[in-house]
Amino acid sequence: MKNSDTGSFIVNFNLNGKDVKAEISASTLLLDLIRNTFNMKGTKPGCNEGECGACTVLINDVPVNSCLYLAANINGKTVTTIEGLSCNDGSLSAVQDSLVKNGAVQCGFCTSGMALCIKALMFEYENLVNSKLTGKKPKLTENDVKKWLEGNLCRCTGYVNIIKSALELINNVERKSG
Amino acid sequence: MNFELINPQSFKELFLVLKKLKHRKYRYAAGCTDILIELKRNPEDDLTLVNLSQINDFKFRGISQTKNSVRLGAGVTANDIVRNLNIKLLYPVLWEAAYNLASTQIRQVATIGGNICTASPSGDITCALVSLDATCVIIGVHGKREIRIRDFFEGPRQTALKKGELLYEIIIPGNKKNTVKLFSSFIKIGTRRSMECSVVSIAYHIQIDGFNKILTSGFAIGAVAPTIRFTAKACDFINRKNINALTERDAESFALKVSEYSDPISDIRATRWYREKVLFNLSKSIIEDIIKCQIEVK
Repeated sequence: MKNSDTGSFIVNFNLNGKDVKAEISASTLLLDLIRNTFNMKGTKPGCNEGECGACTVLINDVPVNSCLYLAANINGKTVTTIEGLSCNDGSLSAVQDSLVKNGAVQCGFCTSGMALCIKALMFEYENLVNSKLTGKKPKLTENDVKKWLEGNLCRCTGYVNIIKSALELINNVERKSG
Repeated sequence: MNFELINPQSFKELFLVLKKLKHRKYRYAAGCTDILIELKRNPEDDLTLVNLSQINDFKFRGISQTKNSVRLGAGVTANDIVRNLNIKLLYPVLWEAAYNLASTQIRQVATIGGNICTASPSGDITCALVSLDATCVIIGVHGKREIRIRDFFEGPRQTALKKGELLYEIIIPGNKKNTVKLFSSFIKIGTRRSMECSVVSIAYHIQIDGFNKILTSGFAIGAVAPTIRFTAKACDFINRKNINALTERDAESFALKVSEYSDPISDIRATRWYREKVLFNLSKSIIEDIIKCQIEVK
């Protein structure tokens, strides 16, 4: 990152698999960078205070509220938004598929954040499985999912089907991937 | 929201920046989960943020264990603590406080240095660190100094940090050599489970030897006084007692001694009366649980 004469910064990072470059100001938030500069509107501004999780993106595979993340800190990192979650041919990823199949989408405003958080839970679970030396896979419980999704609010579904789709997806993780 | 941003890459660079900013208004930013909300609500004029999250310093970002202490860099995130199995084993109180902080997304970026230096009376991780009798290592343009974390807070959002100084790391004393059992936990009472500022929080870390004697104990209370407090008199009361000899009455005396340290306010979350009652009952129940646990063992 360089401090240019105008007081702006240049950041280089990987957005949904592509190396990108952007000029930002000191107080640019990652949320605005994604929505305005890169015109990806799938990342939703909700409360703008880190309470609702609608703006969740993955930074180096962990979920972060993009409304509370300085774009200046994104240099050299990898960002995944909902646009990057679906497969290259445009078809839905397993996470999105599971949410749709289980009727876990109503108004859809929280869905991007939910989907990315569930994706991050899959990574977390894989790491757990890989770190355990015993062959038996631990089963994810409803409470594990609830705890993981505590930072994502949904005002329509009552969470039941969202939790169900996460459980279905992860506890059958060897059948589906992605 | 408008501010200038400086991104030092090393402490050497940081101190040069601080010297230049001597007469300017500046604030530190690390995880930014608190400061950005604050600045969105109340923008400050002519503010410079000194960004600590790009400083490349392994001690500032890491957790290390020495013979008789554990050191946490101020840049360690809540999630770094959650992932550390040593901390889960040695200091359950700290692990639980980190695990129950805010939400999954916030825990990935929020740092312990930020939790401490915000000096909120209800800081979760800070409360746990006070109960563990941790020490803050402060570095600054004029050198390095250490201060016990219980003396670090001077009021709500006020710390002992002077201009040109910053929190570098936190040292937690190791558990006693002959500790065989720990009663160590973080209790947070709020109106919901996630993203909640506590109404009352209690952190305790009690070490017991093979003869059921309490070797040493740490007890800290949050959200019931202008700062998080270490309840030294209550700890002295149970230290060196055998837990087999503890009675219901002792539990009550203990809770009374804890309550002496509280001076809560009434606000949107709870009234003073409620906070005092909850604090008393919780403190009492912790000792009662220890007594019960002993009877079960017999």
